[in-house]
Amino acid sequence: MDPVRAERLSKKYGNFEAVKGVSFRVGKGELYALLGPNGAGKTTTIKMLSTLLKPTSGDGYVMGYSVVREPKEVRKVIGVVPQDLTADDELTGLYNVYLQARLYGYSSSEAMERAKRALEIVGLTESAERRVSTYSGGMRRRLEIAMSLVHDPPVLFLDEPTLGLDVQTRRTIWDLIREFQKEGRSLILTTHYMEEAETLASRVGIIDLGVLKAEGTPEELKSKLRGDRLYVELYSDEDANALVREMTIAGLEVKGDSSQIVVSMQSEEVLRKVIGLLNGKRVRSINIVKPNLEEVFIEITGRRLREESFDAFRQRVFMRKVR
Amino acid sequence: MLGETYVLWYREMKKWLGRKPVLFISLFSPIFWILLFGKSFNPINLLPQDADEIVALLRAKIVELFGTQDYFTYVAAGMTVAFALFQASFAGASALFDRRLGYMDRLLVTPINRESIFAAKVLASVTRVVVLTAFLMAVSYIAGLQLKADITPPDLLLALLTVAFISLILSSIFMLAGFVMDNPEGLFAIGNLVNTPLLFASSVLFPTAQMPTWLRLIAEVNPLSHGADLVRYFLVGKPMEDPYLVLALFGIISVIVFLTSAKVAVKLMEK
Repeated sequence: MDPVRAERLSKKYGNFEAVKGVSFRVGKGELYALLGPNGAGKTTTIKMLSTLLKPTSGDGYVMGYSVVREPKEVRKVIGVVPQDLTADDELTGLYNVYLQARLYGYSSSEAMERAKRALEIVGLTESAERRVSTYSGGMRRRLEIAMSLVHDPPVLFLDEPTLGLDVQTRRTIWDLIREFQKEGRSLILTTHYMEEAETLASRVGIIDLGVLKAEGTPEELKSKLRGDRLYVELYSDEDANALVREMTIAGLEVKGDSSQIVVSMQSEEVLRKVIGLLNGKRVRSINIVKPNLEEVFIEITGRRLREESFDAFRQRVFMRKVR
Repeated sequence: MLGETYVLWYREMKKWLGRKPVLFISLFSPIFWILLFGKSFNPINLLPQDADEIVALLRAKIVELFGTQDYFTYVAAGMTVAFALFQASFAGASALFDRRLGYMDRLLVTPINRESIFAAKVLASVTRVVVLTAFLMAVSYIAGLQLKADITPPDLLLALLTVAFISLILSSIFMLAGFVMDNPEGLFAIGNLVNTPLLFASSVLFPTAQMPTWLRLIAEVNPLSHGADLVRYFLVGKPMEDPYLVLALFGIISVIVFLTSAKVAVKLMEK
């Protein structure tokens, strides 16, 4: 039996349907990444599976328990690393984790032991006695992970775990996540960083506008794209539009996005045709890329994964400081 | 359930004691109230000091009207209840910020009973009020509050119990507001909106007997009035009818309000 099953999960807010009948399964020791832009319904899906939101229809099962009918049982077997920085920054890191352990019913001494172990796993032992307000963004993320791990849950949800972190810190978090997977936990991760999904995930679900559009291992998804992608950027949208028309007439598979166009290079013939068509035109740049999940996403949704969340993270850090 | 409530209550206490400047300020604002208001509003000072007869007459009138030896004693005892209101009216802020900052979600994914989240916050507010009130009483005593001659420790405890019941009622209601509202400004606006009228339309600052009829009618149903009268009865011996019945009613009402608000708050946590 799969540890996590989402069955036609839907969530409506008034007339707006944030998630529309999403179904997927996550096996033991598997890392499932929900990849999609902001507002795609990733967080809503995770919140329903972690019992924070009640589905409007459908159900989810975690270790066999229904999130609708047995939320309390579900809560015992899951850990949740939320998108927000939830630790209480007026208290020490150790106390935050200790308190979390107490809430899972451990005695005072056992909770303390577990808290120390969790902090050791995420590498925060030395800062354990410091107030969280003195922690850096990366340390806070790791603290969130320690707080979610203190009861040793078989299923772990991570909502944008590396949002707004620098490359090095992101690597550290990735290493931790890989470690959890090796321990046989089932992980569900949301991200809008395609390289995160690509490096970590056993399987990826591409979600957009509340619908699961495609699912598979990163390799399976990429193999749906035939050949490399050729990007051509021109100096104006008009030029690009004109070029798209010319290329379509020439029988090329092409898509335009403002001043940029993308051509799928299904054969070597394509490159020659493109060069011929570009002759005499003012071109800003040309790029050939191996297909990656970003390409897959564009292919499926016709849109790009937007990079706008850094500010959202900064705003959260700021909110913490306001208190 | 009790264990969870205790763990969460302890967190609130730790945070409270960790904020030294806030603690300091919250101790001083009621002291300013009773000292500045209680000491400056002394009708005796209005008279020439050699007018012994008039002073004696006025003293007698004060005792008759206020039921206490001087105005300070009257207002200092009554302010304990108003102070419970001031403290409670912002109790919801902790819930609101926990919700906004995501800490609430963190609690909601743990397998604890959701009632304990509400209960811990309300009980923490009650604890703060009772501790600060005890301190306020001590300061008032030093500043000249005239306790009744035959006062016993149980009297002091009953006065504190009165304040605890009142703060349980008010903290429950305002805590619920912290679970309903999304912006702190609105929460503080409600607090301020309720504070002043509730204070002035009560017997905290002035006896209801000398109020215009319409105001007296409001003041007589205002729970602050009965709370203030109870505290005065236990602390300074101002007579009142059936004090223990009133206290018991306060106890019953506070438990009902607390349980009802907890139920509503839990509903609000289920989204």
